[in-house]
Amino acid sequence: MPTKETMTPRERWLAVLQRKKPDRLPMDYWATTEVTEMLMKHCRCPDELSLFKKLNIDKSFKVSPEYVGPELTAGVDEFGCQYKKADYGSGVYDECLTHPLSQYQTVDEIKKNYSWPKADWWDCSMLSEQIKGQEDYPIQGGGSEPFMRYKDLRGGEQAFIDLIENPEVAHYCLTQLYALAYEKTVRIYESIPGKILLGYVAEDMGAQSGLMFSPKQIKEFFIPHMKKMIDFIHQNKAFVFHHNDGAIRAIIPAMIEAGIDVLNPIQWRCSGMDRAGLKKDFGGQLIFHGGVDNQHTLPFATIEEVKQEVLDNIKILGQNGGYILAPCHNIQPNTPPENIVAMYETGYQYG
Amino acid sequence: MIDPKQIAENLINGQAPKVKELVEQALKDGLTPGQILKEGLIEGMNVVGTRFKANEFYIPEVLVAARAMHAGMDILKPLLAKSGDKPTVKFMIGTVKGDLHDIGKNLVGMMMEGAGFEVIDVGIDVSPEKFVEAVKEKKPHVVGMSALLTTTMPSIKTSIEALKSAGVRDKTKILIGGAPITENFAQEVGADGYAPDAASAVDKARELLQQR
Repeated sequence: MPTKETMTPRERWLAVLQRKKPDRLPMDYWATTEVTEMLMKHCRCPDELSLFKKLNIDKSFKVSPEYVGPELTAGVDEFGCQYKKADYGSGVYDECLTHPLSQYQTVDEIKKNYSWPKADWWDCSMLSEQIKGQEDYPIQGGGSEPFMRYKDLRGGEQAFIDLIENPEVAHYCLTQLYALAYEKTVRIYESIPGKILLGYVAEDMGAQSGLMFSPKQIKEFFIPHMKKMIDFIHQNKAFVFHHNDGAIRAIIPAMIEAGIDVLNPIQWRCSGMDRAGLKKDFGGQLIFHGGVDNQHTLPFATIEEVKQEVLDNIKILGQNGGYILAPCHNIQPNTPPENIVAMYETGYQYG
Repeated sequence: MIDPKQIAENLINGQAPKVKELVEQALKDGLTPGQILKEGLIEGMNVVGTRFKANEFYIPEVLVAARAMHAGMDILKPLLAKSGDKPTVKFMIGTVKGDLHDIGKNLVGMMMEGAGFEVIDVGIDVSPEKFVEAVKEKKPHVVGMSALLTTTMPSIKTSIEALKSAGVRDKTKILIGGAPITENFAQEVGADGYAPDAASAVDKARELLQQR
């Protein structure tokens, strides 16, 4: 058990990011809103902040600029995508129903018929207010995850097919999406200079047993844009948090070369993602974030198994530091709260 | 004279218009629809599956190849039906209730079609009742159920139980898949098999069919 905490959550994260020794292992939290509500009840905490304090969670706080653009129809977002709430019994998630760019074959057609959202549609002036009270926590702001949006705009399968059959359209749209993300990021960093610790540069590239895209496609369509964002975040003395699910080992060296600092979520049960191998090959260049399996362990394992996994993660991923404990993606509502509590208690006690 | 190998090669490279053209030409040359299907389309998709498993092909390549397969299949289907040369295996697939994900399901469907099976896609968010109804009506040899979320995995179990209650569970083989699914889970819920990816699903389906 740590004797006395000497650092704030922000200082704790910063120590790990700077390869210094924190007072204890930092622990982050990702969960659906249904889970957070359930956990607050379970732990008898009236609000999120008290929950995080009770479980010693060093939750990062994400700033969100306010949308002030053209008025939107209910259920339709600023890109013209229509969403519906998909109910899976214990919770809901948003699923895109319409794909506003699916009907177009050429860049010219898109230019003629579609107008992209503008960075002016978001107001950052309230961010300094938004972060009040969060001074002790690591603040996350800006970044990009454009292929997810591209899939909504074009339709999932068409988005993948475009990379081969219609690369001009893919390049054009991804350039627009990355540019919008970049401009919004610049404004966020300008509005609260020096306050942001982490920029979120993500892309889902992995399935369970390998990459969804070829390394060549990733290097052609994503990495040059990501690099620009990464450089900007670094110029602002912040760190790059790279989220990339699944079996992505084959692309990690290229992501390191692009400049990422933190790799999340480390789905170690996926092919090629074994923890010792990742630590050995990339531990010198990357901070690992995540590592507590969310497909098997958290929802379905026993408390003892959860504890063991946390201990293994601390031992393997956290050897000589460089590790932030977190679930691999949002904890889902079918997870016993006892497992979640066991994860953080074990992390606190042994980290 | 068109060599079916050319059709396979163009399919592998995702050349839909070329596959269409070659299939039409091959028919004119007197090749039977069954031969074009087997030595051209199925052979091509077989290579696509092998390369996908070996991480040489990725989702874009598979989707483009599947499109080329469909370009050829659209021509062959009516001819195969007429000649009584219809596929002998019926494969039904759907994403279970509460789950709207479909890329994985569609990839499996494409691979099954590419293996020469008749594919009946019952869609996404398929309730146990709908599975029962569809199985009763279409009498598939194999039913594939997909779930991407840990929260929708239980729907696989309830779907299988519904098939049992309706008395049709033993009339079909059940193959399950999706990101969080494992062999253990398949055994636990009473499925006949599990496949980790779309190409392996074809191998598994063939294996299950041999057990009939």
